[in-house]
Amino acid sequence: MIESILKNIQGKDQRGSSLIKCLTECEKDEIISVIKVDTGKKAKQRLSNLGIVPGAKLVKCRSAPLKGPLEVKIKGSSLVLGRGIASKIFVKCSEEQCQYI
Amino acid sequence: MRQRHRKGYVQKHNLEDKPLKGSSQANTINIALAGNPNVGKSVIFNQLTGLSQTIGNWPGKTVERKEGQLEFLGFHFNIVDLPGIYSLSTYSLEEIVSREYIVSEEVDVIINVIDATNLERNLFFTFQLLELEVPVILAINQCDILDKRNRSIDFKRMEEIFKLPVIPCVAIHGKGVHQLLEEAIELSVYHHPHQHYLKKGKRMHEHLSHAHRTQELYTKEWTMHLRPKKSFQFPDLSSLLKFGKEVEGKIEYLISEISQFESYFSQFNYPGRFLAIKLLEDDNVVNSFFKKNESTRYLLNIAEDFRKELEEFHGEDIHTIISSEIYNKIHKIIRLVLISEKKEERKKSLSDKLDQITTHPFWGYVILILILVGTYFFTFEIGNLLGGYLEEVYGMWSVEIYGMYGADPLWVKLLWDGVVGGVFGAIGGVLVYVIPFFLIMEILQDSGYLPRAAFLLDKFMHFLGVHGKTIIPMILGFGCNVPACAGCRIMETRREKKISVALTSLIPCSAVLTVVMGLVGRFLGPIYVGLLFLINFVVIIIFGKVLNKTMPGKCTELIMEMHEYRAPNTKVILKQTWNRSKEFIFKAMPIIIILGIVLELLLMFNLLEPINLFLSPITFILGLPLICGIFLIYGIIRKELTLVLLQDLAQSLGMTLPMLLTPLQMFVFSLVTMLYIPCFATIIIIARETNWKYAIKIALLEVGVAIVIGALVYWGGTFLLSLL
Ligand SMILES: Nc1nc2c(ncn2[C@@H]2O[C@H](COP(=O)(O)OP(=O)(O)OP(=O)(O)O)[C@@H](O)[C@H]2O)c(=O)[nH]1
Ligand SMILES: [Mg+2]
Repeated sequence: MIESILKNIQGKDQRGSSLIKCLTECEKDEIISVIKVDTGKKAKQRLSNLGIVPGAKLVKCRSAPLKGPLEVKIKGSSLVLGRGIASKIFVKCSEEQCQYI
Repeated sequence: MRQRHRKGYVQKHNLEDKPLKGSSQANTINIALAGNPNVGKSVIFNQLTGLSQTIGNWPGKTVERKEGQLEFLGFHFNIVDLPGIYSLSTYSLEEIVSREYIVSEEVDVIINVIDATNLERNLFFTFQLLELEVPVILAINQCDILDKRNRSIDFKRMEEIFKLPVIPCVAIHGKGVHQLLEEAIELSVYHHPHQHYLKKGKRMHEHLSHAHRTQELYTKEWTMHLRPKKSFQFPDLSSLLKFGKEVEGKIEYLISEISQFESYFSQFNYPGRFLAIKLLEDDNVVNSFFKKNESTRYLLNIAEDFRKELEEFHGEDIHTIISSEIYNKIHKIIRLVLISEKKEERKKSLSDKLDQITTHPFWGYVILILILVGTYFFTFEIGNLLGGYLEEVYGMWSVEIYGMYGADPLWVKLLWDGVVGGVFGAIGGVLVYVIPFFLIMEILQDSGYLPRAAFLLDKFMHFLGVHGKTIIPMILGFGCNVPACAGCRIMETRREKKISVALTSLIPCSAVLTVVMGLVGRFLGPIYVGLLFLINFVVIIIFGKVLNKTMPGKCTELIMEMHEYRAPNTKVILKQTWNRSKEFIFKAMPIIIILGIVLELLLMFNLLEPINLFLSPITFILGLPLICGIFLIYGIIRKELTLVLLQDLAQSLGMTLPMLLTPLQMFVFSLVTMLYIPCFATIIIIARETNWKYAIKIALLEVGVAIVIGALVYWGGTFLLSLL
């Protein structure tokens, strides 16, 4: 159900880049908020314990070269996430920033 | 005035072992230190007990529960340092073990250590802890760093919210740590929380310290009031812990159902609310409680229906729903208690700048290599300088001794060549390399560089079947394989643990380093040292690849917290360097000396030959002189023995190493020492972390690989040399 909603929003967005994307596609230093975490159960449990839950705000800091892991800042600390996990975390531009665009 | 006696004895147990009940003294208070990784639990533990748990700036140093004791204000404290965890669910074994331990009879008071600079995530664990309804003291640590960021915490407000004692600490400087104990006394005497900030009137410990003359009397009186944790009146935190309407309604229903079976559930020590939440969360340990009893089984079905209903309603899985609720509550609390003095944007700190270079897609790797190579050069230069000097001294003294007493009498051989030569060999051949090396390792650990290396190499490690976190025990393995292999527990799955342990055991440790430096480094030059390491790394890569291919299962993904860089604490670094060197002095030195004497005896009675003859097939394949056989056996005990004792032997034969070994043989000898087997202690740790079958398999594999590669190098090298 959520997936179809995601697609809907993506489809309707005509201006510039699509609003919903996975974490790996984000720009550096962009403030984003989590929409959906679509990993396996175990990883989801850990991520939710670490604060990566829908609605959480985070900033992507950097990624290691050659499709390595990424570092995000969340709740005032840094987390390193493997690329495979990051590509299953869907985010959107946080309101605060979207207003500028 | 305060009396504090430290008792340095330690009891260490495996997590599986039944922990010993602390001493049975009546005035004993058992304390557990719990909290997220890297918050400073072990620092507090060390401050209190005077013991030396490893500390450093990366998550996951403490992998095993450790116990220590102290006397304070007339009470006897049993303090337990727990591994850091993020939650009390069933994500890892540590989490399950920790929560069982926390609710058990063995702990009276839990000190929840919280990183003041990372309040939000730390309070998530606190919330979980509160659900266990045990006496908790909140220790807000690292307040000095918070200060530096121009922020502060309203501790009074925090006490009002949590209704439990809140103590600010700067553990690294020992601030606040003893206050924690005072609070612990009050908690266990009053059975209900007396807040630190809200308290009016005289507090018990003030009575105590004012009346220190009659302290004993007081203590006796208070001791009579000490009660087990069960009688602790947990404050009413229902408004704080309550979830949103949908979730709370279901949990309340489950609680009321569970309360019917109170007598059954009381054996597990968990409060009803905790059981209800975990039942809803499908926690398999708690589920098993319900499964065990016929009459409670129906609750599993109810919980499942509830769960489905909630998951459908929210479109999320249950962990996410509950965690979000908790984080929402925390967010509100943070706004109340965290005060930013200045609104201005935080400037880029030194740590950020350092981070930018050290994790840079290009410079990051350059720096990584520079650090590794630099460490070796530094160690090499210092070690050679000091080692050479010591050797000269020993040589000079030997000449004099021989001049005075002759070189032949038995006692000269045993005492001078054996004992004094052994001591010099150990210091000159081992310590001079090991101490500077450990120093650098400690700086790397305490600055926070290790997680950066994990970040940079995660992708690469995936080729070997593990994620980047393995790099941390591997780098620690350069120091000593034994704690490093134990540290592999930070890997999440069994498969990763197995591969990590194998890879770590192949890392050339500081003992191997002394052999390589003292032989190849000294006589052949640094290029050949580099070549040796290159071969070693290729072997590691091949090993990893093979294990990855042959072991069932798949590699999981990296999820790791990366803490900011911190200026290493000089005291901590020096202390830990000393601790590790001490191990060499007090463990390696006696072995070196004893085996040195044994060697002298074997030599005198011509017993060396049969042993070496027995090993001759191996030494022949490797192209080594017969005499090297015995040293390869010694090396299993400790790797540095191979060279130290070889040198001993050369000396007592009146030869030097280059007379004994050709350059090619030196190279092969070092290579074989590097690869051929993890030392004894490492094999035992591997077996403990995995199983004996696997440990022996790894050891045999390494022996095989070492012989094959050693032979290839020797015969290949001989062939190439003959062409020249
Ligand atoms: N500035 C400052 N640093 C601190 C303080 N307390 C601890 N540290 C540092 O924090 C880091 C982590 O401390 P540890 O005691 O090893 O952390 P831990 O909670 O035992 O971590 P794990 O064993 O990994 O769970 C170390 O580098 C300490 O030097 C403090 O009060 N102030
Ligand atoms: Mg620790």
